[in-house]
Amino acid sequence: MCFSCFSQFRPRYKRLVDDIFPALPQDGLVKSNMEKLTFYAVSSPEKLDRIGEYLYQKASRDITRKRDSYVKIAMEAMDQLLVACHSQTLNLFVESFLRMVQKLLECSEPELQILATQSFVKFANIEEDTPSYHRRYDFFIEKFSSMCHNNSPDLFIRDGIRLAGIKGLQGVIRKTVSDDLVENIWEPVHMDKIIPSLLYNMQNPRYKVDSEEKDPTVLAESCFRELVGRASFGHVKSVIHPVLRHFDLHDLWSSKLFAINCYRLIMFSIQSQYLYTVVESLMIHLDETSKLSSKIRTNIADVLSKIIAIAAGESIGPTVLEIINSLLTHLRTSVTRQSTNNMTDVDEEEKNYQEALISALGEFAAHLPDYQKIEIMMFIMSKIVQSKAVMAFSNIDNRIHLICLKSLLMVCSKYTSIHMTATLPQSFLDPLLRCSRAFDSQIRLLVQNVLHTLFDRHGNGTKFIKPTLEFSLLNFAYEKCSRSDTIFMSKHGPEIYASLCESLEHKNNSIDNVEAVYKTFALLCLELTSEETIGDFFHALINIQDLALTNDSLPHVLKYQLHTIVICLLSLAAYIHSINSLQELVNTIIKTRKEVKALHLLPDLCIHYEVLPEHALPKGVLLDQIQLVECLNHAGIDITSKNFPLVHRHSWVESAPISSLSDVSFLEFSSNSSSPSIERKYPHEDLTFEAMKQVLSENVDKQREQEIVRGVQIFEQYKSLPFTDLMNISNRNEEDTLPYKLGEIFNKLNTDSNLRSPIRYDEQKECYKPKLESLFPECFVY
Amino acid sequence: MEDYKFLFKVVLVGNAGVGKTCLVRRFTQGLFPPGQGATIGVDFMIKTIEIDNEKIKLQIWDTAGQERFRSITQSYYRSAHALILVYDISCQPTFDCLPDWLREIEEYANSKVLRVLVGNKLDREDREIPTEVGEQFAQRHNMYYLETSAKEAENVERLFIQIAAELMEQARCKELPRYEIGSESIDQNATTIKTKPCCNN
Repeated sequence: MCFSCFSQFRPRYKRLVDDIFPALPQDGLVKSNMEKLTFYAVSSPEKLDRIGEYLYQKASRDITRKRDSYVKIAMEAMDQLLVACHSQTLNLFVESFLRMVQKLLECSEPELQILATQSFVKFANIEEDTPSYHRRYDFFIEKFSSMCHNNSPDLFIRDGIRLAGIKGLQGVIRKTVSDDLVENIWEPVHMDKIIPSLLYNMQNPRYKVDSEEKDPTVLAESCFRELVGRASFGHVKSVIHPVLRHFDLHDLWSSKLFAINCYRLIMFSIQSQYLYTVVESLMIHLDETSKLSSKIRTNIADVLSKIIAIAAGESIGPTVLEIINSLLTHLRTSVTRQSTNNMTDVDEEEKNYQEALISALGEFAAHLPDYQKIEIMMFIMSKIVQSKAVMAFSNIDNRIHLICLKSLLMVCSKYTSIHMTATLPQSFLDPLLRCSRAFDSQIRLLVQNVLHTLFDRHGNGTKFIKPTLEFSLLNFAYEKCSRSDTIFMSKHGPEIYASLCESLEHKNNSIDNVEAVYKTFALLCLELTSEETIGDFFHALINIQDLALTNDSLPHVLKYQLHTIVICLLSLAAYIHSINSLQELVNTIIKTRKEVKALHLLPDLCIHYEVLPEHALPKGVLLDQIQLVECLNHAGIDITSKNFPLVHRHSWVESAPISSLSDVSFLEFSSNSSSPSIERKYPHEDLTFEAMKQVLSENVDKQREQEIVRGVQIFEQYKSLPFTDLMNISNRNEEDTLPYKLGEIFNKLNTDSNLRSPIRYDEQKECYKPKLESLFPECFVY
Repeated sequence: MEDYKFLFKVVLVGNAGVGKTCLVRRFTQGLFPPGQGATIGVDFMIKTIEIDNEKIKLQIWDTAGQERFRSITQSYYRSAHALILVYDISCQPTFDCLPDWLREIEEYANSKVLRVLVGNKLDREDREIPTEVGEQFAQRHNMYYLETSAKEAENVERLFIQIAAELMEQARCKELPRYEIGSESIDQNATTIKTKPCCNN
């Protein structure tokens, strides 16, 4: 060869490099010479940079001359040298190596691009022990991302280049992610390229080959997982943000399946301590997309509900409540939006959206430990109480309450209650009971449903949907009421029964309401009555019957329904506690009702009865209290022994942290009781059984007269007695003094002065009125 | 040894279907691909030209016009030296969108980036945007203006050569936007203003 004589004068490394190229390109790399070159490079590493540079120049020349096979040989040689290099000397060589890769990537031939990527991946897999601060990968990220979007008409080439692009990105990620000093791959400039490129390949799977080598979709997926998995706290957001953006732009929310899958992927790949961030970002995104169609929002909420469970396991403490809180806020905004929008089709979608959110809430709650569920229930409850209008007047408030209660019901349904004391702490029970008396019948119904889910521990709920008298076929599953539950019932039972009774007082009770209350009673009877506490239950039943008899404002239909459920519940109690005498009593009543054709007093409940009100209650169809007491005594249950406060309402309002409108009457009540000196008479409070009977037999006018007399008495007393005497009288009991009570009232008013309703304002004014007026409260109460 | 003295990044933007890809193809490969499909994501081309005996390498990033790729295309603006904003002179809507594009450029690109407005499809007979209108718009927004036809190869070469010359001029006056190290910069090997290293044979 004519070159040989000149080659003697060329540097040795150049000769060695030249020798590796065969005379004919198709022969491939000259192996033996390559070994020589490698040996030379390893033994004198200081020459590595020159070798690299020379190889690069040769390859560049070959590229311009389109001698692709020589280019490939050069690249192969570089690969081998790279692997042979010791890590300390690698830096000398890497620069020209990367330039070579870039040069190949700049070519338009797919083959060379793919080759370059392969070399790059090899390089990426080498662990360097010395970081190179100056090395940059911008071009590679840009180029690889662009390759991920290759749209060549030839599917084979397209897939090849896309695969190469994804592999290249994977390489860059591996190379940079572990070393914060190199390039910060988490910068938005890079993430905005990498993430859409990966997602783009994931979103349209054309065919499913389960090998990473062939299918860009699969490879992109695993690369995406790797990236997400490597994200540390500061970087989670920079990953999530481009994902959301990409989803928006490509309208990926509408293909729900992909969105869910993709988010599942994220949730399973991300380091578990950051799961919360993903959930949070989705919620924030819901905020941002509030202007978008509710369909998209529904889908986002759906995704949320699918992934939130994964996050639940890892969430602790305040984050839990934060998630709940923001879900509730979204519900609230949705309700507000709904009321401003009057189009019905929008309404429908908005409803779906709300449902999706509620199911997300439920999913989340379902995966929390039970004690946290109680916390959540109380939290939701507090949201309802906060907005304060339990007697809701405004439409929006009402809807918000409904939504909150629906969420509450959802959470409750995921909760397994064991001990009632744990399930229903005072601070949860109180507001719940208050809600049960709300004006809106739907709210009342929901509260009953909540109670059902909490009380029904043995899955008997479905057996009590309709009032019935036949219990033997129902096969109840129940245990004897435990000790702690008995304590719970003796403590809270009266309140619960009183609230239930009161909820029946509303005129707008539908058949559903009545049935729901029946179900609550039935469940209470089944789950939570023992011999000690069953008395309360019977008293409540008597109360219901009285209600039906005395409350004239109730529609007749409702009255009949009340009579019906009383007899059903009585029969149930007799069945469950096997009180034969009571069963007999019930049977007689039923028999009488059948005989006198008072079928409207027997199940099932109807919406309409064809009975004239005056013929509605023939003799003997009612539950006679004396008979009841007798037959219970017979069974060893004494319900007269205790002084049951039958109409117990209001007594617990005092302990409620935030008072509701019912305070109006409470204030009257307390000012009444603080009026000194006169012997007090509470027609509604000292209800022993005897007193009850008396009250019932007394006619209303008589009571009225008594009240007036009392009023006059007080008035006279204050008018005639000297002031000092009055002082003495009123100081008799520290707790009862007027200033004390007034102070208490003012405190109460101050605590919720910021939430004051107009009515409340009046009330307050009343309290500031001249002493004289406050001194004679009874006079103007009546 | 590098075979070029300057490396410039040029990014083409504009509505879908105004002919960005065709411009690039015409310039880099000298052909006009009929029935060119919509670009997906970003396409990459390279072309080395010579001005005043200096070799200049142009890295041309051809972005997709479709809205859905906006997030990835925007990320390419940042490190560009020149942005070519293309519209179709026979299609009013593509012209109407220009303010939106400018806003996007303001937001995502370097403030000193060289901006060129190009009215493409000069060969079309059904022109809707008169030259003056385009020119005025360009003037108002401090842009260069050129009308081209990728099909007839009219002004295409000129467009890129002018951009290269202008960028080279700027580079010589050291006015070229230098991207901060650490956030965005061209690949380190090809530093923006490349002075020829001494021969090292």
